[in-house]
Amino acid sequence: MTQEAAPKLPILQLVGVRKTFNDFVAVEKIDLDVIEGEFLTIVGPSGSGKTTLLRMLAGMDQPSEGNITLHGERINEVPPNKRPTCLVFQSLALFPHKSVGDNIEFPLKVRGVDAKARKARALELMRVVRLPESYHSKNVMKCSGGERQRVALARALAYDPEVLFFDEPLSAIDYKLKKVLEKELKDLHKETGKTFIYITHSLEEAMVMSDRIGVMRAGRLVQVGTPEQIYNHPVDRFVSEFVGEVNVIEVKKEQDGAPWRGIDVPGAFHVRPPEEDAEADHAFVVIRPEYLRFLGAGDTAQNSLKGTVYNEYSLGSRIQYQVRVGEKVMLVELSRSKALPIAADRSVTVGWDAADAITVRA
Amino acid sequence: MEQEKARTRLFIWLWTAFVVVLLYLPIACGALASFSKGRYFAFPIRAFTSEWWEKTVDSIEIGMIVQTSLLVAALVTVLSVVVAFFGALAFARYDWKGRRLFQKIVILPIFFPQPVLGLALLLWFSAVGVQTSWLTAVFAHLVWIVPVVTLVIAIQVYSFDPSLEEAAFDLGASRWQVMREVTLPILWPGIWSGALFAFLLSWGNFPLSLYTAGADSTVPKWLYSKMVAGYTPMVPALGTMSTLGAASALLLGGLVLWLLRRRAAA
Repeated sequence: MTQEAAPKLPILQLVGVRKTFNDFVAVEKIDLDVIEGEFLTIVGPSGSGKTTLLRMLAGMDQPSEGNITLHGERINEVPPNKRPTCLVFQSLALFPHKSVGDNIEFPLKVRGVDAKARKARALELMRVVRLPESYHSKNVMKCSGGERQRVALARALAYDPEVLFFDEPLSAIDYKLKKVLEKELKDLHKETGKTFIYITHSLEEAMVMSDRIGVMRAGRLVQVGTPEQIYNHPVDRFVSEFVGEVNVIEVKKEQDGAPWRGIDVPGAFHVRPPEEDAEADHAFVVIRPEYLRFLGAGDTAQNSLKGTVYNEYSLGSRIQYQVRVGEKVMLVELSRSKALPIAADRSVTVGWDAADAITVRA
Repeated sequence: MEQEKARTRLFIWLWTAFVVVLLYLPIACGALASFSKGRYFAFPIRAFTSEWWEKTVDSIEIGMIVQTSLLVAALVTVLSVVVAFFGALAFARYDWKGRRLFQKIVILPIFFPQPVLGLALLLWFSAVGVQTSWLTAVFAHLVWIVPVVTLVIAIQVYSFDPSLEEAAFDLGASRWQVMREVTLPILWPGIWSGALFAFLLSWGNFPLSLYTAGADSTVPKWLYSKMVAGYTPMVPALGTMSTLGAASALLLGGLVLWLLRRRAAA
């Protein structure tokens, strides 16, 4: 696990945290240090245990084993209303019978703050999340999806938590608005300086916002690192595939220094040994579609494969070609400006250099 | 096409009229009978008078019976709403071992034939040595009404997102504050509907009161006993008043419910 060099202390620490429901293991032995003020995103497919992990951090579930500490103090059994943390729910959980203002003022009201001070703080927070002042008395159910996000955010900030948790709050928002809200959330993180822990199944979302990303799979934290580390140095095939569409070739080492033998495609390939285990003799070579290129006459690459183009997709600024190599489909992406006039069912050669591919342990 | 539509409309009209006549004509007849000058129940009515209504209003006996009925209905309403509120949460919200069994057992009394239920309760009261009175009638009413009110409130609970309570708790509210600020206000329309059901079902209940009220009488019980022996037009007069009372309670309750819903949507 790589951590930033900055001399910041962990605010939250998880040591061997495990959660079981009867026989089902939802979260398996997680060790994690959350650095104060960071934006940490936990990403994983549905059912990977990320929501359970978040609920334990927020105090809504208790770990079956292990410890969670906040500023060095064990908080396993501290209830949510006694923790300096706040969760923004996937459903947002806005109170439907209260106005925008009353929703935002709720944490202040239960703390006994008087009405005048409450309203002043609510209006202040509404400015922070860019809600017009006139919305204070608006019915929260009459707000649009984006406005509700902002109300939920303002309400969480009104609690003044040290750590904010987010449970996929943007999953039901359309793409364009999502992009806007992602940026706003990142700005808000900077402005408030609070620790944000965000969970999502979308690595794209994680890449945009996070200082660090943790990838979860089947209850385990597979890799924690900066977006750059996750993207360029995935620890295994799962992480590499989670980042996006990739080409994966299974290879075996037959002899030190010699090219590796392809298992699911015929041929011998120049391969860098896996970062995690230089001695491994069985590995997956991961080549991102943008690193794979078509080889014309006179072009060379360390590795090449012959195949047939059978489909092309427009991905906006890029074009993706599907190339059939034996039983396998390889993806090649070119920027639109460099698109080749390739007719379907045309024979091509695709190639890449060992340095452009990532090798992970099998 | 147009013709077919017109025919459908006509049929709907006729059917509605038929149902209305079938349901409400008898009640109207009862009301008419209470204005009959004659002592006996006979149609057509030859001469009208408001004498029986005045007598009914003035009667001390009837005043006491109405008081008993109101007391029973009020007590049943309060107790059944309290019991049913927590029952509905257990019924619809929390997943616990035995919940499905609980759901079945709670619903079952609704389907018991009420005279059988009344008789069973009477036997049980005498077996444990409890003197029957309007208080035992309250208990009997509860056995049948609590399940109904539980169902009514449970419907509201089902549409309640439990993450609202979690969010409130997470935002620093105590258990009591969660209940007061979130759970109760959102469930309020369901609770109110349940209370209305409880009051009206208790007010109009006859078989359970007949068996379990002992020497005390309620409005339906009195109506029946006077019908069997000692009929005067005071019977339809009190019956009509009781119906009008129930109708106005329903109207008032409906109005409050409408206001509650409108406030929630405002």
